[in-house]
Amino acid sequence: MLEVKNVSKSYRSNTVLTDVSFHLEQGECLGLIGESGSGKSTIAKLILALDRSDSGQIIVNNVDFSQLKGRELRKARRHVQVVFQDPSASLNPKLPVWKSVIEPLENYPEASPSFLKEVRNEKRKMAEILFEKAGLQSGLLDRYPHQLSGGQRQRVAIARGISLQPNLLIFDEPTSNLDVSIQAQILNLLKDLKSEINMSYLFISHDIATVQYISERIAVLKEGRLVDLFKTKDLFSADRHPYTKELIDAALE
Amino acid sequence: MKISFALQKNPFALQWHLKSSRPMTLWGIFLLTIIILMTIIGPFLVPNDPLSANMAERLASPSLTYPFGTDHMGRCIFSRLVNGSRATLGITALVIITVLLIGIPIGLLSGYIGGRFDSFMMRIADGLIALPEFILAIAIAGFLGPSLMNLMISVVLVKWVSYTRIVRGIVLSEREKEYVLAAKVGGCPTWKIIARHLLPQIISPVFVLAALDVGKVILIISSLSYLGLGAQPPAPEWGAMLNDGRAYFQTVPELMVYPGMAIFLVVLSCNLIGEGLRDKLDVKSS
Amino acid sequence: MSAVMTLTKEIATEKENEKDALFRTSPVLEIKNLSISLYEDKGGEEHRLVKKLNLSIRPGEMLGLAGESGSGKSLTASAILGLLPKSLSVSEGQILIRGQDLLNLSEKEMGHLRGKEIAYIFQNYQDSFTPFIKIGRQLVEALRSHDKISKPEAKKQALLWLERVKLPAEQIFSSYPHQLSGGQLQRASLAAALMFEPVLIIADEPTTALDVLTGEKVLDLLAGLQKELNCAVLLVSHDLKHVLKRTDSMAVMYGGQIVEKGATKSLRENPRHPYTKLLLKARPILRYTALEKFAAIPGEPGLIAKEGCTFALRCPLSFEQCYMVPAMQPAGRFQWTACQAVDREKVDTNA
Repeated sequence: MLEVKNVSKSYRSNTVLTDVSFHLEQGECLGLIGESGSGKSTIAKLILALDRSDSGQIIVNNVDFSQLKGRELRKARRHVQVVFQDPSASLNPKLPVWKSVIEPLENYPEASPSFLKEVRNEKRKMAEILFEKAGLQSGLLDRYPHQLSGGQRQRVAIARGISLQPNLLIFDEPTSNLDVSIQAQILNLLKDLKSEINMSYLFISHDIATVQYISERIAVLKEGRLVDLFKTKDLFSADRHPYTKELIDAALE
Repeated sequence: MKISFALQKNPFALQWHLKSSRPMTLWGIFLLTIIILMTIIGPFLVPNDPLSANMAERLASPSLTYPFGTDHMGRCIFSRLVNGSRATLGITALVIITVLLIGIPIGLLSGYIGGRFDSFMMRIADGLIALPEFILAIAIAGFLGPSLMNLMISVVLVKWVSYTRIVRGIVLSEREKEYVLAAKVGGCPTWKIIARHLLPQIISPVFVLAALDVGKVILIISSLSYLGLGAQPPAPEWGAMLNDGRAYFQTVPELMVYPGMAIFLVVLSCNLIGEGLRDKLDVKSS
Repeated sequence: MSAVMTLTKEIATEKENEKDALFRTSPVLEIKNLSISLYEDKGGEEHRLVKKLNLSIRPGEMLGLAGESGSGKSLTASAILGLLPKSLSVSEGQILIRGQDLLNLSEKEMGHLRGKEIAYIFQNYQDSFTPFIKIGRQLVEALRSHDKISKPEAKKQALLWLERVKLPAEQIFSSYPHQLSGGQLQRASLAAALMFEPVLIIADEPTTALDVLTGEKVLDLLAGLQKELNCAVLLVSHDLKHVLKRTDSMAVMYGGQIVEKGATKSLRENPRHPYTKLLLKARPILRYTALEKFAAIPGEPGLIAKEGCTFALRCPLSFEQCYMVPAMQPAGRFQWTACQAVDREKVDTNA
């Protein structure tokens, strides 16, 4: 469903990604672990076509994203959506949150998520359903982002992320700015949503424990190179990369 | 606990409340309201025709017929002052609106689209900003010839730059923020990102800048009129009135004091409001 | 139960436990009945952000203060350092360092104590050094401002400390802050904090801004040096993992109250308070077989009950008695819990 092939990227003389390749099956969750500066957020940007790779291909649904431009790119974009780390920055502070949530649906009138079929073209109703899916009360529809708590804001961002029922939903450290008790709620929500709506996840995080919980396979990124890629159940297997082992040791208590 | 929670969610809430009660801002609003009321209904209430000269009563002292006395042509100063406010404030408002209509779109496009358009616009802006505003305005007005229209054009040409620059600066920092990226991922076309996501972010800082600029614009307009580059006699305009009174400053200083006071009060009230707005909206001074 | 009775009972049990090895020495830091309040206006309503907090740390002990945002853990740390924001103030209680009440000290005396007797390490390590002045010069100046020593001697000491935090001493000494990585800077600030051999170190989220591995190394270093100096450490962290892994004792805060405190081992193995229990279950930790589902705590950290137990609004066990402030009760030998529901449970099982 997603195929990242030999992607490299550098900013000026600074190499961020070197020859990164991996793929993602439909309905799968791949966890991507790395420290700051490992290039994990750059991968997200490249897949979202917010930036272009220097070389390599990013193929979504058999279409090479890195070759698309203008109208075609805009059209293709609806299959890949994102939830960013900082929910206070990822929502327009001057818009009531429900408008942010249904904005993608306004932009892609041709998209018809299965769970919104019955309320097509009723914007407010669509927002209500999306809110419900994300575990938000409909009383919060008209709030502005600053009137919500961090956890609620992240739920709004998730509601927007699923609004188009994308094939791939990318999470860039979605829980690292949240309190512990909220993290658990959000992770549970993500797990529920994935089985409910047929989506693939690319889950980017620095926390190996979070990734273990949510993903079926784990990729480890170090200084722009993919050093390890394995099934989550093999996390403690002996042939893990030394760097992965280091991360595991640090995470164990 | 309720308040402290509200504080955590919105740390500005409390400050907002305290700062909005700044007494000086309220004075500014009060003063400007009176001046604007005067501008709108004043001309219907004034005792005399501002243009009718009466050489027999030139330079008269204040009386019941002429509340502020008469000028060198025997015209009622009070009536001219009230009628002149239309010219001065009207031109100012028009200038500010035109400046916003030019400055904001160019700033938005320049900041968001970037590239050659941005470099081109910024070179022009650098050139304009390198010269002192007032001198530049005199040069342009002088080149175009003395008239109210040309006066306005010259002020607009001088003023749009600062708006473009401030808008561009905000756009440059906002466009990298995650909500703009999210809008892009969510399929927003460029115009929608600019109009729906970026424009609202620049409204309050631009508003503050405009409020603080009203005073400056009035001063430039009055100064140019004073130099004879703006309103042409016999039309009443505060700057032109100052100019008229110049010759009699030794003998009848009131001729200059009245229009001078009028300009002073408007500039003062606008600055008070502008500063109040700046504090309230928490905009960093550029 | 009245607050006074609660307190005396708490102190009494603490005294009893002093016979045990861990509690034999007298505490370095003792916080008694501390409340921190926000006053909206002069004479206006008072909002208590930290409520009647009791804590003590002994030499060589590392105490973890854990809690979510709004729990008051960082405020408590700031209060000890005398660095509360202007709008907040200590409305009651005492903060005793070796028996001396910090709240009675003048600004100048506090300034002298801070940095020398009480050292601190903050989350944003970028701010612990002035940019554009070399690290070495800043260390030397700090040393000379507290002790009357010559420049070469100060330099010798600074170099020694940079070595002790496992940095290439000479190189770091003549570097500017921006030339160092995050981990190096945090180590350098550790050196700056420890070089006066303080009796108490306050570490407020020292690793939150660092990468996982770098953070672990900084904490390893802190733990090692603490052993050498035998000083007390107050580790404030939202990350339970660090608290559980590193500390001897811990206190869990919610909404300005300590809901449970005691020996870390005891709390971890046998958490009594519903909040501690849920918190331990809710966080993602690495397991040999991954969980299917977290036991998430309902509600938001901002949901704080005004009266009584602060956690009552989110607590699955809450009942009508929770509108009263729960007393700190001993729950096991090295553990105290402030929960009426737990008390009731105990009564029920005893009956």
